[in-house]
Amino acid sequence: MPHRLGAMQTLPSPMRRFQENDLVDYCIVGVGSAGGVLVQRLARAGFRVVALEAGPFWDTEKDWVSDEKGSHELYWNDLRITGGTDPLALGSNNCGKGVGGGSVHWAAFAPRFHPSDFRVYSEDGVGVDWPMSYWDLKPYYELLEREMPVAGPAWFPWGDPHGHPYGPHPLSGRGDVLVRGCTKLGIRSVAGGPVAILSASHGDRPHCIYRGFCIQGCKVGAKASTLITHVPNAISHGAEIRAHAMASRVSVRQDGRVDGVFYFDREGKEQFQRARAVIVSGYAIETPRLLLNSACPGHRQGLANSSGTLGKYLMAQAGNVVAGRFEELIRLYKAPPAHALSEEFYETDPRRGFARGFAIQTVGPLPVAFAKQMVAAMGAWGWGMRRVMMDYNHWSTLGVLGEILPWEDNCVELAEEKDQHGLPVAKVTFNLHDNDKKLIEFGKQKVMEIMWAAGAKQVVQESRFAHLVGAARMGRDPSTSVVDKFGRTHDIPNLFVCDGSILPTQGSANPGLTIQALAARTADYLIKQGDAIFFSNRRDLSEPGIRYDLSPPYTRFKGNPRIA
Amino acid sequence: MTKKSLPYLATGGDLKDLEQPGFYPGYSTMAQKRSWEDATRKTVTKRVTETAPIRFFSEKEATLLRAVIDRVMPQDDRAEERTIPILSVLDERLYKNSLNGFRYEDMPPDREAYRLAIKAIEEMAQHRFQQSFHALTVHWQELILMSLHDGKPEPANAAWQEMPVRRFWAMLMEDCVTAYYSHPWAWDEIGFGGPAYPRGYMRLENGLPEPWEKDERRYEWNAPVDSLSELREESASKRGSEHDHKGSH
Repeated sequence: MPHRLGAMQTLPSPMRRFQENDLVDYCIVGVGSAGGVLVQRLARAGFRVVALEAGPFWDTEKDWVSDEKGSHELYWNDLRITGGTDPLALGSNNCGKGVGGGSVHWAAFAPRFHPSDFRVYSEDGVGVDWPMSYWDLKPYYELLEREMPVAGPAWFPWGDPHGHPYGPHPLSGRGDVLVRGCTKLGIRSVAGGPVAILSASHGDRPHCIYRGFCIQGCKVGAKASTLITHVPNAISHGAEIRAHAMASRVSVRQDGRVDGVFYFDREGKEQFQRARAVIVSGYAIETPRLLLNSACPGHRQGLANSSGTLGKYLMAQAGNVVAGRFEELIRLYKAPPAHALSEEFYETDPRRGFARGFAIQTVGPLPVAFAKQMVAAMGAWGWGMRRVMMDYNHWSTLGVLGEILPWEDNCVELAEEKDQHGLPVAKVTFNLHDNDKKLIEFGKQKVMEIMWAAGAKQVVQESRFAHLVGAARMGRDPSTSVVDKFGRTHDIPNLFVCDGSILPTQGSANPGLTIQALAARTADYLIKQGDAIFFSNRRDLSEPGIRYDLSPPYTRFKGNPRIA
Repeated sequence: MTKKSLPYLATGGDLKDLEQPGFYPGYSTMAQKRSWEDATRKTVTKRVTETAPIRFFSEKEATLLRAVIDRVMPQDDRAEERTIPILSVLDERLYKNSLNGFRYEDMPPDREAYRLAIKAIEEMAQHRFQQSFHALTVHWQELILMSLHDGKPEPANAAWQEMPVRRFWAMLMEDCVTAYYSHPWAWDEIGFGGPAYPRGYMRLENGLPEPWEKDERRYEWNAPVDSLSELREESASKRGSEHDHKGSH
């Protein structure tokens, strides 16, 4: 049987294998949203690239199931310690393991950040400004929206208004609830996206079949993950994806440049991959953990940590789930969890008494997840649990997605516990601050109001968090940030970080699209710099200019409507 | 599964022995298994046909925990041969030390937490009613569990100094609902469509059933009315979250 990626696509074979002592140009650690895009870009540009992935290389037909409990292996299940006043749930909530990383189990909401998200400090006096503007990233948003591609409304009215290359999805009962509630209250909403799920077939990827198992891994191949969008193209162009390779530390030479990555292979034996440059794309927990674990003489506090900010300014978004019970049947398990939203409360409104805002989105918990939400939201147990679950098909769910600001005390550190390889595990600390609490309270009340307006007979809510970004933030000032605007570490000229951890602030948009857009931009920069990355310590911060010819074939210029 | 609540001691009344509780009589997800692809069919079928042996818990621990599970995820209305295994699923998770990707800093490792809790619950039963937990009446068992649910163990036991009650309660509930609601018989009970690949769904709106799904037929479901675990209005108000947050965004 060929290695399947979705219902129709197969993995290009054979994949190039570098020899043990081969020197490659780039070693990328982590093949998730960012790593997948990077490896594809760099391979197409002719670089010798090896990408290490701690988890398996999924065969979607054999390894994935259309089942909640059976999808446990998609997540980063290894031990981490979580604490603080508002500890974050990790694992299935926000961390992937395996080729495709978190993009395998994201719900695939793909809204852009707003222009204001890049200037949070200038506009609202909170958080920090990005070292780039929305307009620097916009061409990459447009490019990635075509490459994934993103389905959604022809007119998305918030932030920088735009359309989408694929038409919107049909609504389900859950989407109807959001649109009905918002409309009753005079709140604008959009339906059918933006979501990186195919509403019509695309090359060797079929359209969505509305089975609702998006976050269990899309066996259909309709939902975009770098496993099926960028990785196959990378392999066709000579990249090697090395699965079951858990990076343990980045190796630093005498002259202060990195020269490769130590990793544990499938058998648990330590190996070394020599590389002329290293890009860490391990996401907001594993990236700082790897750099902290790489501490060595000259870098006592961890690599790229002369500022002391590595691991700090970790962010998660408020993700309160509001559930409403209706007289009529909803059947909330049908259709993608992500398919309708409103960003009407996204921007700062001084009348609300806090900075920044939130989005309102559909969510679609399957029975196990919904039962857990009822434990939290209603204190259901015993016969009460049985009773509330018998009404599963009468419930509908909406989510708040609220911006939590970057705070120094929200951080990733090393714990005393060790993992199966003897590496210290990550300890994550998370505390809500005053602005965050006010924002969450307001957002929660607003979404409950919408649920009542939609006609719910009972409304309950559960506090939770979604997504993870920050912890190796980018900035202009090397004393307050870890990397520059292209992801290059301030301290080591041939060490890069490219994933969600470089985000200085997070807006109220799901970060997946932005992470991939940033990766495509970093790739353009690396390609333009060419060999200078490998030999020179000079830091050139000029814009690279976008390269459209690096897109996977058949995705170029697929008609992204431009709205002037 | 111990069928000790038949007749239900708290109510004094009888529960009907149902082949399939819930409002979707005659609905069977397993009947659809030929429409699923191989990997899913294998995973789900195994859940129905195979029950893992108890390997992590000792016999004594298993007896107590079985009694706890019978109250926090009661199945007394289900016919004996249609009860859903929960303890064995939990035991297998702990035996394999399969984690969910994190541990709260104020919690001991999952295995220790369960052992601590089992010991504490037994001591609570002995202290309050001078009997083993599994031998108590349903009502007394529920009184003890209710105090854990409320986060105010009665009597307060030293073990609860070592870990927050609410976190243990959340983990216990999470393990129980995961085992119960991942079973096809529970899907039949709540009218969930189950696996849907490669077939998918075509009727997305207005709660319409697919041709192979069933319409809802409501009736007065006979859960014991005076059970302490029945839903109480006030309990639905402001609560935080302790679970692993899967299923959203």
